[in-house]
Amino acid sequence: MSAQENPFGELIREYVAECLPLAEAVLERCLRLERFWDHAEPGDELLLPLKGELHTLKGNSAMMGLTAIQGLAHGLEDLCGKLTLLPQLRGSAGSLLVRGAGLLVDLIQEAETAPATGSEADSYLAEARQFLESAETVTERRTGDRRSTDRRTTRDVGEIGQDGAITTLRVDSARLDSLLEAFGEVMIAQAGMRESMRALAPLSRSVGEIANLELSAVALEKTLKRLEGALMQTRLVPIASVFGRFNRRVRDLAQDREKKVRLEVAGGETRLDKTVIDRLSEPLVHLVTNAVIHGIEPAAERAQSGKPQEARITLAARQQSDRVILTVEDDGRGLDPDRILMKARALGVAPTSESPTLEEIYALAFLPGLSTEDQVSSLSGRGVGLDVVARSIRALGGTVQVTSEPGRGTTFVLRLPLTVAVLPSLLVSVGQERYALPLSDVAETVRMAPDMIHEVASRGMVLWRGAVIPVSDAGQVLGLGGQLRGRRYCVVLRSAARHRGLLVDRLLGHEEVVVKALDPVLGRPPGVSAATILGDGKVACILDTVRLADLHGAELSASRH
Amino acid sequence: MTPPTFLVVDDSKLHHQMYGLAFNKGELSGSRVLHAYDGREGFALYSTHPEIVMVFLDLNMPEMNGLEFLAKRRETRLRPETPIVLVTTEDSPDDEARGLAAGAWAYLRKPFTPAQLEALVAKAGAGNGARGTR
Repeated sequence: MSAQENPFGELIREYVAECLPLAEAVLERCLRLERFWDHAEPGDELLLPLKGELHTLKGNSAMMGLTAIQGLAHGLEDLCGKLTLLPQLRGSAGSLLVRGAGLLVDLIQEAETAPATGSEADSYLAEARQFLESAETVTERRTGDRRSTDRRTTRDVGEIGQDGAITTLRVDSARLDSLLEAFGEVMIAQAGMRESMRALAPLSRSVGEIANLELSAVALEKTLKRLEGALMQTRLVPIASVFGRFNRRVRDLAQDREKKVRLEVAGGETRLDKTVIDRLSEPLVHLVTNAVIHGIEPAAERAQSGKPQEARITLAARQQSDRVILTVEDDGRGLDPDRILMKARALGVAPTSESPTLEEIYALAFLPGLSTEDQVSSLSGRGVGLDVVARSIRALGGTVQVTSEPGRGTTFVLRLPLTVAVLPSLLVSVGQERYALPLSDVAETVRMAPDMIHEVASRGMVLWRGAVIPVSDAGQVLGLGGQLRGRRYCVVLRSAARHRGLLVDRLLGHEEVVVKALDPVLGRPPGVSAATILGDGKVACILDTVRLADLHGAELSASRH
Repeated sequence: MTPPTFLVVDDSKLHHQMYGLAFNKGELSGSRVLHAYDGREGFALYSTHPEIVMVFLDLNMPEMNGLEFLAKRRETRLRPETPIVLVTTEDSPDDEARGLAAGAWAYLRKPFTPAQLEALVAKAGAGNGARGTR
């Protein structure tokens, strides 16, 4: 029954007036709960009032004949009830709850103008049911060493199929991370082994043995590739968890500015690596916020130019082979190419060509200092420009493009890799080059003075924490040239036997870099394990500290001769 | 002829507006409705308005809920014959039973329609023509 046929249908406005703040309170509580649960706090004191509020919403919606909202509120109330009884599920239920509450807010808000058809609520309820069903067959596994377990309360949860076998597992993401980390180490070790094997082959007389070894190595590499693929698959998460958070933000922002904006979402089921999802939230928030604040015109202005007063922002995701394409599209005023060009000229970064194409002009928008609004609104995020968005997307191994039609709207297209592996790193510079050192191998960094390096039998030595450790110059080791005394920093690297120092020019900070495998065709420079693309789009090599130690030895023997 | 007076106790403004609509329809039009937003306020109105012919009492409310309201009336023995309808939802059968035991005359489940409300009023003999202080 629609609200119009309902005997109380004429009270729809009063319904929204009463229920919207209530639903917003629900969402607020859910967001707080999610934060609590992320930190393994129970949040029991929030659950009870939450259930009460949902109950009221359910009753009110039922009276109005708004069955979709009634059903959604009912489902959420149920979910809260289950979560009250099964605290072990909370760690993995936060985003589900938040999304449901967000949907509730949306549906209530639209109850007057566009009554819910129920499909959105239904698909959410199906998801919630699935979550609970799998939860009811909890297979709690002792996690072994309690001290080593992480802060999250999530336990592994299994879903049992028709034949009684467990078909789905919920696994704490931290476990997947450690699995991936271990896998990365295996890959590095394997690469080192191959390297040694190649060096050994011409020296060995056991030709048959070497051939066998090579066959095994190829088989191992193949298996590792498969393992990598499977591992990456387990880390894929639907992007709906990010999309779900925008409704409220868009509404609040639009309301503050007396704009009417409708957010449409498509392809929420598209899956991306968890790391990508986690890091995507901020640039997306920025783009959506930008669209509401700068892209969309005030309702009056829209009416004047013959556009519908209610503006539309579309967030969409879809997979295309091994990439995911995200678009953030608005039907606002569009980018002004002349203005971008003017600013670029003022900043001295204008394209060299006489008549740049629109594409070239829009690409300028991603340069620092060129985001078109002169004054950064206090609400438009943290006053960051599009350059920051571009940087974070590039750091994920993705690209971002913008197209626009003046007066018709703007579309941002983000292309992202399906999966990524990240490595916490220390970025350093050696001459003009930048390198990433795995943070797990870095013991300490030391500011150098020339008299700190002692030469002992033509080997560089440094006194570090009461021990004498060998140091080598990164430039020499990596074949860039350079001498022992010119560098300003020493990075002390851990290795199995003893610490070693690597002399570099500058420390550029910690960064979680996305690991890109080196193209086997191009070969692997000595001491390099993989590559990464830095925020500015340039490539940096990730150093293999174990191999570096070998090179260090080689360098020493070379310098002794 | 004085119109009958009803008391509605509910913490939702929306519900009061709904009762307002329902009590303005058909046989009930012209009824006088007193509105209270929690059990405590409701009981204060109930004690000071003997002309009330029937009470619609929400189950879930802050301050004093429906069951507490009923308990208080029983304790104070204040016009125990005035019919009180406990307004519930489909998933609170336990509370409905408790309400009847505590002195509710009937219960009415949400969602209800104006027609259902009118039928209940008629059944209680509290419609137009009925008088308070029975």
